[in-house]
Amino acid sequence: MKIIETENLTKKYKRYKKQEGLAGSIKGLFHREYEEKIAVDAFNMNVNDGEFVGLIGPNGAGKTTLVKMLTGIIAPTSGRIQVMGFYPNKLERAFKQQYAVVMGQKSQLFFELTSEDTLRLFKEIYRIPEDEYRRNKNFFVDLFQVQELMNVQVRTLSLGERMKMELIVALLHNPKVLFLDEPTIGLDAVASKQIRTFLKDVNESRGTTILLTSHYMEDIKVLCKRSIVVNHGRKIYDGDTNLLFGQYQKCKKITIYFEHSVEPDVPDYCRVLEKTNDKLVLEIPKQNAEKVLESYIGHYPIRDIGIDEEEIGSVVERIYKGVGI
Amino acid sequence: MKKYIEVARAYMKAQLVWRLDTLVDVILAVAKILFAWILWSILFEGKEQIAGLGFQAMISYYIVSSYLFQLEKSAEISQQMAGMLRNGTFSKYMVIPVQTQGYFVAMEAGKIAFSAVIGFFVTFLWFYLFRIPFLFTTDRKILLCGIIMVVLGLLFMALLNYFLGILTLKFEEISTFLMIKDNLSAFVTGAVIPLVLLPEWLIAGVRFLPFYYVTYLPSMLLIGKCEDEAITGLFVLSVWCIVFIVLNQATYEHYRIKYDGAGI
Repeated sequence: MKIIETENLTKKYKRYKKQEGLAGSIKGLFHREYEEKIAVDAFNMNVNDGEFVGLIGPNGAGKTTLVKMLTGIIAPTSGRIQVMGFYPNKLERAFKQQYAVVMGQKSQLFFELTSEDTLRLFKEIYRIPEDEYRRNKNFFVDLFQVQELMNVQVRTLSLGERMKMELIVALLHNPKVLFLDEPTIGLDAVASKQIRTFLKDVNESRGTTILLTSHYMEDIKVLCKRSIVVNHGRKIYDGDTNLLFGQYQKCKKITIYFEHSVEPDVPDYCRVLEKTNDKLVLEIPKQNAEKVLESYIGHYPIRDIGIDEEEIGSVVERIYKGVGI
Repeated sequence: MKKYIEVARAYMKAQLVWRLDTLVDVILAVAKILFAWILWSILFEGKEQIAGLGFQAMISYYIVSSYLFQLEKSAEISQQMAGMLRNGTFSKYMVIPVQTQGYFVAMEAGKIAFSAVIGFFVTFLWFYLFRIPFLFTTDRKILLCGIIMVVLGLLFMALLNYFLGILTLKFEEISTFLMIKDNLSAFVTGAVIPLVLLPEWLIAGVRFLPFYYVTYLPSMLLIGKCEDEAITGLFVLSVWCIVFIVLNQATYEHYRIKYDGAGI
């Protein structure tokens, strides 16, 4: 069953274009020029009930605008949109009762209150019956192992702890759809992994449909069977996540820290992203990564090595240009 | 309704977190009584009445009106809304199943309740300890009218500030509106000077405005003055409240659809 549907969904912004300098400012008092920016362009998308879909793309691709339209925060300029049978921008109570949004960089919590008080407030806002509230709260608190944080002022929580609380608050009323915007931004590896495990569990055990936007490849790869890639407001890929990364993620990003200052040889097929006396960051074709690492380990005094996935922007750029198909 | 009561409770609890703020609230309540007593003692030296009010009535008016003025903190609503709309955090109220107007009014009610309780007890204790002469109405109906008028007045101010906050959706920058409102409100509510000191024609004019009934008239009613204006006052203020509830709902619905900047 389709829970989210868009057809030719378009959003255009109008923005004031000011000429530079004081003269431009004064001129702007009398006459203003506006330019039109198409943030989302004829976007077609379907998400089925219970799916975990990744929405990826570089900054300014239109992801946030799309999520804003899906959650009803802004109205589309044209096209058709329905989420759970509702036109989102009407912001009907019945609609808002059935979804939740979690933003990595913006909080829903009351910083002065304790987590427990915040949950109690959301219980009333969503009219959750007492027994259901207790059941859900206990379930999520156990899942995240955050019992000892419930009576602590939200302000004093670490970023990772706060994000766990954000997710508990968002899921307290059993939303059918959960929109996640960069939920692991700024988190360390342990906290990110906990969040991912939690989300996977929620999706599988509760059947919650989740639409995740993230710049972290790991989030998308681990959680989303299906990915939608957006660039310049248009959908450029919609399909299997493994296939996407298998086809388009051609490189690994390898960071090598040396014991002391060295002048390492860099093979032609590697791209140097950063180089200092004791640090080298390379972008290496996946198939050559092992060979390059072996040669460095054998020849230079190495203090530490970090291996990351290629940045999402490069992958999207490659998909967009059709390179590597 | 229960959700809005919980919102009010949450904000009341949030006020209690800050111990220094609580202490400052207590000190301010004490200071304003002391200040009023000293100021009006000097002004009344050698005089029986000023603008038709005796010393007891004047000091009572000053204390009641400044107490009510201190409760009125709704300017935070418009400032908070403007700030959140501009930095993209307002959407957190849009996506939860509450009416944003109700939410902000409840939030304000929670903050007022905190200050009201603190202020009331401190004022009462101060009067009791220092036996400051205080004039208060003994007519229960007038007392009730005065209390209802205080509630309606505070509600109106919250609604007005919510309206100004919504204007951010249209104008983005609302500091000019806020400045006009602050100056007008401070003058017309009698917080700057008692309205009895103003010419009659001016007082007659401001009676059509709600501000007259926010601080000035309830203060006068509570000290047993202007009793014949009680019903009219309640009526005018109720009408203004209804007008703004409807206006706010319509304005919000109109502009939020057109607004593109409410980030997530």
